Formats: sequence, C-alpha cells, structure tokens
Amino acid sequence: MRLPRLFRTNVFRLTLAYMALFALSVGALSAFVYSATLGYLDTQTNAIIQAEINGLYEQYERSSLGGLRDVIEERIARDGEGRSYYLLADPIGRRVAGNVQAWPIGIDDARGQWVDFVESESGTPVRAMPLRIGPGFRLLVGRDIRELTAIRQLLRSVSLYGITLTLALALVGGVLLALSAERRLAEINRTTRQIMAGDLTRRAPLKGSDDEHDELAQNINAMLDQIENLLAGMRHVGDSVAHDLRGPITRLRNRLETVAGAETPSREDLAECVVQLDQVLATFNALLRIARVESGAYRSAFTTVDLKPIVRDVCELYQAAAEEQHVVLHGSAPESVEVYGDRELLAQVLTNLVDNAVKYTPPGGTVRIELARAGDRALLRVYDSGPGIPAEDRSRVLQRFTRLDRARSQPGNGLGLALVNAVTLQHHGRLTLGDNAPGLVVTLELPALSPPRVLAAAPAS
Amino acid sequence: MRILVIEDDKEVASFIRNGLTQAGCNVDHAANGRDGLFLATTESYDALVVDRMLPGIDGLTVIRTLRASANTTPVLILSALGEVDDRVKGLKAGGDDYLVKPFAFSELLARLEALARRAKSGVDAPATVLKCADLEMDLLRREVRRTGKPIDLQPREFQLLEFLLRHVGQVVTRTMLLEGVWDYHFDPQTNVIDVHISRLRSKIDKGFERPLLHTVRGAGYRLDG
Repeated sequence: MRLPRLFRTNVFRLTLAYMALFALSVGALSAFVYSATLGYLDTQTNAIIQAEINGLYEQYERSSLGGLRDVIEERIARDGEGRSYYLLADPIGRRVAGNVQAWPIGIDDARGQWVDFVESESGTPVRAMPLRIGPGFRLLVGRDIRELTAIRQLLRSVSLYGITLTLALALVGGVLLALSAERRLAEINRTTRQIMAGDLTRRAPLKGSDDEHDELAQNINAMLDQIENLLAGMRHVGDSVAHDLRGPITRLRNRLETVAGAETPSREDLAECVVQLDQVLATFNALLRIARVESGAYRSAFTTVDLKPIVRDVCELYQAAAEEQHVVLHGSAPESVEVYGDRELLAQVLTNLVDNAVKYTPPGGTVRIELARAGDRALLRVYDSGPGIPAEDRSRVLQRFTRLDRARSQPGNGLGLALVNAVTLQHHGRLTLGDNAPGLVVTLELPALSPPRVLAAAPAS
Repeated sequence: MRILVIEDDKEVASFIRNGLTQAGCNVDHAANGRDGLFLATTESYDALVVDRMLPGIDGLTVIRTLRASANTTPVLILSALGEVDDRVKGLKAGGDDYLVKPFAFSELLARLEALARRAKSGVDAPATVLKCADLEMDLLRREVRRTGKPIDLQPREFQLLEFLLRHVGQVVTRTMLLEGVWDYHFDPQTNVIDVHISRLRSKIDKGFERPLLHTVRGAGYRLDG
C-alpha cells in the first residue's frame, strides 16, 4: 500500500523528524523541572520531620516516656492546621499518645528510614520516620504531604500536555508546510507535464518571492528557452537544408536523366555529375558540422589551446595561395595566447576567415592576421582590403546560407561564416565584423586563459 | 594485393569490390563481423577494409580481436562517423587509417596502397635518407639534393616532400596530405594544397628533364622516378 502523496513529501518527513526531536526536548525539560521541584519540596518536608524528631528525642532523654507523651499531646494541640502526625506506641503496638490511631501496617520501625503511608482515619497521605525508643516503645513522626502529591500530579500532567501539544503543533505545521511546498512544486510539475504533452510555450509561474522555488522555476524556464532556441535552430537547419540542397539535387537529377536517356553518355557529363554531387555532400557535411558544434558535442574534448601556432600554421597554409593571387598575407602573433577550446575547430575557423579574406581581396591587396591579448580576452583579427561588407548586411552574413550578391560568382556554400559564428559561441566568444576602410575586419574575441606566470628562479640552496 | 572487405552495405561493398578488382586486387568480401573475423584469422591478406557499424560483431570489436591475437594486418576503417573523437576511437582500437563515408574510390585505393606498402616494408629501420630517382633527402642534415645539386626548401615544403618520398610511387590524395603534413582533418574550401604542390614542383622539377612530381587526375599526386 502506498502512503497518500502528502505523507510521502520530503518536507513532511523532515517535519516528522523535527517533531520527534522537539517532543524529546520538551520531555527532557519536563523531567528536569519535575525532579528539581519535587526534590526541593521533599528535602524541605524531610527537614521539618527531622527537626521534630530531634526535639522529641531530646524531650524523651530529659523526661522519659511520660514527658514525651505530654510534649506530643501539646504539639498536637498547638498544630492548628493538623499537618503533623505523631504516634507513640507501646511494645505490642497500642497507642500511648498521638493522633494516628494505630501503627500503620507494613512499616518497619527499626531502620530509621523515610516511609510514606496513608493515614487510615482521614485518608491523608503522610511522610514519616519511625524510631525505636525506650524499652520496646516506638515513635512515629510524620507530616501531611497532600501538597507534595498534588504538585507531583500537576507536574506530571503538565509534562504530558506539553509533549502532546508539541507533537500536535508539529504535525499541523508539517502538514501545512508540506502542503505549501507541494502546491508550488505541483505548479512546476503541471507546467512540465504540459510541455511534455507538446505545448513548448508554457513556462513555470514565478511568485516573485525570490526563494528556492522561484529559482527552480527560473532555471527551468531558462532551460526551456534554450531548448526552444535549439529547436528553432534545428527547424531552421531543416528548412535551409530543404531549400539549399533541393536545388542542386534537382539539377543533378535532371542531368542524370539526360545522361541516362542519351544514346552514348559522355564521360564529361558523368564527371560533372560527380562534381555536383560532391558539392551537395560538402554542403551537407558543413551543415552537420555546424549542427554538431551548436549541440555542444565538442565541449567535452575542450582543452588548453595556444592560438599562436594556429595563426602561424594557417598563415603558412594560405601563403602560397595568396601569393598566387598577388595578395600579400601576413600574420603577426607576438605572444602565446591560450584559450580553452578545440584546436581543430579553432584552426578551421581561422582557415575559413583567411579563406574568405584571400578570396575577396583583389590582386595587389593585403590580408593581415593579428593575434593579441587584451586583458582577459584573446583577440584574433583578420583584416583584408577587399570590398568589405555593408553595415546592414553584417549580421545577416553570419546566418547559414547567406551569400551576398557579388559572392555568388565565387565558389562557396555560404556556410563558412555560419560555422565561424557557431564555433565562436561555443567558445563563449564574440564575433564582430567591422570596416577596415577599405575592406573588412573580422574580430574574434575569446576568453583567454591567464598567461603562465614567469616564476622567479628558485634560489640555489 | 589481397584485400578483405568487411562491409554489410551491399552497394558500398560491390562499389569497393569492383574498383579494387579493376585496380588488380584480389578481393574477398564478408557481410558481417563474424564471417569477417573468421576470414581475417584463417586467410592472409595485405590489408583489411572494415566498416565500423556491422551487424553482430561491430567493426571495432573485429579489429580489437584481431590485434589481441597478434594479427598485424593493416586495417582501414570505414565509417559514417567523421568527428575527431570517432577517429581517435577507431585508431585506438587498432585501426591504421580512417576513412569517412562517403568517399571517392581513388581516396580509398591510395590509402590502402599506402597501408599495404608500409606493412610490407616491415619494421622499417629508421631511414635517414629517402630517395626517388636522382632526388635525395637527408633527414639528419635536413638537406635535399637532386643530381647532387642542393635544393633550398621551406620547413613545410620539406615536410611535404618527406611525406611524398615516404609514399614514393603511390597516389597521395589531398586529404592525406592535409592530415599527414598539416594534421588537419577538415577540408579548407579553397584547394590550398594544390598551390603548395605546385611550388614544391617548381623547386624540385624545374630545370630537369624528367619530372618527378605527377598530378593524378581526379585523385591526387604521385612522386615517381
């Protein structure tokens, strides 16, 4: 059997535990008060009886049994409240003097110990001390302990009520707390269920109290935003793929149909088909790579990467191609700048940027790669002296498949900068396009790792 | 060359098989990991082509099992997974090279020849001099000479020529060069490799009657005497 939902909540269980702890504390406190109070009253009563015994014994020593009897009678007469009890009994237990009718049954006279008994005539509880006196005579001196008993009763019931009340309050508190926590969580749970059912626009409600539930709701909402963005991105990729691959695939299909229908298919036609298909595949692979980058698949393999050798390598890789086009390419990376990332992706990013720069720079122009550190940022800039990109198009070219009109004559799939942008974002960096008047300057800003500290040489010991 | 192709996709398998047969290879084919493993352990091959995803025993397990039984036949892994970590996993399992689908047949053939050649040359005593006809490279003194005349090369050109010399007589594709010389596993959009090759060619072939560095149409390059 399962407990009702409320009783399974964590808050409720915690409250139960606290409730037990509180009850234990109240119990311990009551026990202490009980024993301290009663101990004090006990001692007082006993001291009074002890004093009386001492007085009576003195009297007995002074004037024997007869004197003792007189003093007892006198004391009884003087005790208006009737709180003192005396009994002087002869060797066979008969009363000689005192206000107790007979020696109470079960009381051993010899030990000189405290005894409690109920006086048979009035039914009063009495604390007393028996004493052997003279030749076979016994003396019993006692005091009414009704008050003591009453206080004991009172303390007992107060403790009991206290513990019961604590338990009851804790139970009510626990239920209330569990209910309120349950209500907040139920709202969040309802939202998540609605989202699971397909309504991605739902968000967990915020109470504005800035407590941990609000924080949870906020985080869930932020996560949902991210998921929605990713989904939108995927949808966009899907649309783009459909749009951009359908064209080439259709052309390829038509060409193949022509080739298939020809009497003697020419080798050139077939080779052209393969070239077209390779382009489709390249576009497809580039899209996949962007999608993989955006999904964060590379993040787990991130490590410390020095950008300096990348600048040197890419510069060297493109040197020959640039010279071929009569474009001057130089790289400047005066110092090592380390970032946390993926070497291959960062190299590809720089390759794409340099590739673009060299491609769009007219003969006689210059392309410059610069690596610098600015505080805790790594700045990687690629300048060219090409036609540049008009300010209004700059954000557009970072999107997939954007190709400005004059780029359509150049080979390319319109995915280069989109990949650069995706990689930059995954590295928590920023990509900005600026004016090099004339030309374009692309700035890649990445969080740099702090430079290795130059340690002072340890003194030789 | 005797080649075993372990590939479950019929189209791809017959594509590889036809191509290799035309190139003069003797080809066996297994359509699943179990049969492949059986053939690979009972017959002797110059190289294996192993698809990564196979029904039953997968490709990497086949390679691991072979390596565990001290079989050192070179293995070329074929895979639709082309990311760096996939490649690393494949090579760690004991593969010698990694080719991502879809691939051009010339690429496959060039890589297979390189693998088989490397295996045949045995545990090559670390050569200090590489040669192709009258071209000589001294790896210790970092010098290149042709017919005794010194040729001045940039460090990267030196690496490029070294790679070509180590694969002398074989077709070397652009991707192989990018991987082997630059250690990049992505395709730069423009073909920058061609320009590097043409520079190297002008240094080692210009002024000599017989060219050594040949372009193989639709495939790559070949250094040959």
